Amino acid sequence: MTTMSPDAGLTKQRETLLRLYRETARGRALEDVVNQLAQTRTFRGFFHPGRGQEGLQAAVCTALNVDDYLLYAHRGLTYLTAKGMDPVSILGDFHGRLAGSTRGLGAGTVHCVDPARGIMGQGGTLGSCFPLSAGLALASKTKGEGKVAAAFFGEGASARGTFLESGVTAKAWGLPVVWICENNGWAVSARVQDVQGTADIAPRAAALGFHTQVVDGQDVLAVHEAAIEAIRQARGGVPAFIEAKTERIEGHFTGDMQPYRDRDEVAAAKTRDPLLLAGQRLVELGEDTAVLDDIREQARAEMNAADEAARTSPLPDGTRIHEGVWA
Amino acid sequence: MSDKPITYAWAINHALDEEMQRDPDVFLMGQDVGRMGGVFGLTRGLHDKFGGERVRDVSIVEHLVVGGAVGAALGGLRPVAEVQFADFLLLAGDESFHKMAKWRYMHGGILTLPMVVRAPCGIQGGVGAEHSQSPEGHYWHTPGIKIAVPSTPADAKGLLKSAIRDDNPVIYFENRRLYRVKGEVSADPELLVPFGQGKVRRVGRDVTIVAWSAMVDAALEAAEILEREEISVEIVDPRTLVPFDMETVSTSVRKTSRLLVLHEASLTMGPGAEIAARAADELFEHLDAPVKRLAGTDNPIPQNMALEQFCYPQTDQIVSTVRDLAKW
Repeated sequence: MTTMSPDAGLTKQRETLLRLYRETARGRALEDVVNQLAQTRTFRGFFHPGRGQEGLQAAVCTALNVDDYLLYAHRGLTYLTAKGMDPVSILGDFHGRLAGSTRGLGAGTVHCVDPARGIMGQGGTLGSCFPLSAGLALASKTKGEGKVAAAFFGEGASARGTFLESGVTAKAWGLPVVWICENNGWAVSARVQDVQGTADIAPRAAALGFHTQVVDGQDVLAVHEAAIEAIRQARGGVPAFIEAKTERIEGHFTGDMQPYRDRDEVAAAKTRDPLLLAGQRLVELGEDTAVLDDIREQARAEMNAADEAARTSPLPDGTRIHEGVWA
Repeated sequence: MSDKPITYAWAINHALDEEMQRDPDVFLMGQDVGRMGGVFGLTRGLHDKFGGERVRDVSIVEHLVVGGAVGAALGGLRPVAEVQFADFLLLAGDESFHKMAKWRYMHGGILTLPMVVRAPCGIQGGVGAEHSQSPEGHYWHTPGIKIAVPSTPADAKGLLKSAIRDDNPVIYFENRRLYRVKGEVSADPELLVPFGQGKVRRVGRDVTIVAWSAMVDAALEAAEILEREEISVEIVDPRTLVPFDMETVSTSVRKTSRLLVLHEASLTMGPGAEIAARAADELFEHLDAPVKRLAGTDNPIPQNMALEQFCYPQTDQIVSTVRDLAKW
């Protein structure tokens, strides 16, 4: 039995946690809808579930300003909803309908875009976020806009040569980049230790001169605080790096049964579910479980309604393929 | 304003200078473009005039040069990135073939990428297989990129200015053999050369040569020789490959009924194949002879300067090919 603390710090912590809990729950509810679409083969492309990583995505994206740039990664959707994107336009992309942000070019998370909220898209080749984020940060710095360019990527993509090229230049030019490495230890079926000779990515960024933090990616509050500091550093002209040690609870894509992984490891990962952990912490801080149930229920209702709106939007016709090649 | 003869290289410098003066969003980045003024001297004076934040030296980072330009363009700047040799574009393969060409389209056509990559191309000076290529065909095969291939100082300036003002990504292939060629260039900072408008470099009756970049001068030289044999050559310089001005080619071929496509890039699967195929398709009933191609040889370019000349069409080869065509 925990009682509410009168301490203001704890009250603030609880408010922040509640906000992060809500964003994590929204991202998960959205992914639940997408998983359902994949299982019923309504959506036939690849989806890379973010289960286990929603908390850190929510924790970083809620620390960004609405006009800060975001280059999200392929694993999950919480980046987008936490940055303020309308789930109807995300799901419109999954359904390949005109309501989607790409107006029917979808489908999938890969290229959701919302420049009004700084969401500048995602490349189909991993590690391409490094030079692009450096360029966005350069534009912000040159124009004196004060925006940071946040880029998410896995530990796998951190091995790309683009990391080094962009990292050295970001340091040389004092670019406001915030790079967030979601280190879940697995690049599809390759264990990071086996293919990179280390489980730790942050030393690379530190060697480049980045402000570097390593954080438990399942602890939303810790990630949020790290993100606030990283963003502060970046706005001051010091490129910043966060390595969030996280868990990939599901396979690389929906339907990947992960035969290459130890079952006990997956079971252990499930106990480190960020939504579960944030909920436990909130209850410890005196939150009523009914409030948490209600947040999750609202998230489900929101995403189901968004799915209904998206799936009833018109499909593009064949002429759509010719639109938008040229400005 | 008076036109005065300046070099192709200096015309590029003037275009950069004027556009940087006009628009504070325009900036340069590349290896040695700053303090040194470019390995070929093309950006001389610009670092002093505009400062290190608008003329940015980089390390050996082609991914960053092209990918960073994509990001900077998305962020509202107008980058003019330079790869030191056109061959090095391939080091930034993902950034050029994918990010630069496809980012706008992949994201529904709602983002714009106003950027230019300057790519010095062409065979000159014994720099070998990885510093001499003309890879415009690689990029013509990639929807989403505009391509400029200027052959004269005036076009070098006017096309670069158009490229910088274009809201689409452009690769600007500047031929190193042309850098010292002089020609009249307008000093008018608003004189642009539009994309997609070819130019008839020489009017003739018997054979049409489509040529661009450094091959235009070779074609002109051949035409002079052929004129003495009473073979009249018309030379069409498309000036940009994307968009491609087929209309000017078509008008010329309807008149001459014979077509030679001439380029420096190697023959097989080269850009001439596309033009020849279009001519065969669209101009079949106007042709009196098979469409011919004369192009670079299908081998890596050796470093020995004595051998370079055998790797791209020489004037005597153009003369004999046109002579054969004229017999039809």
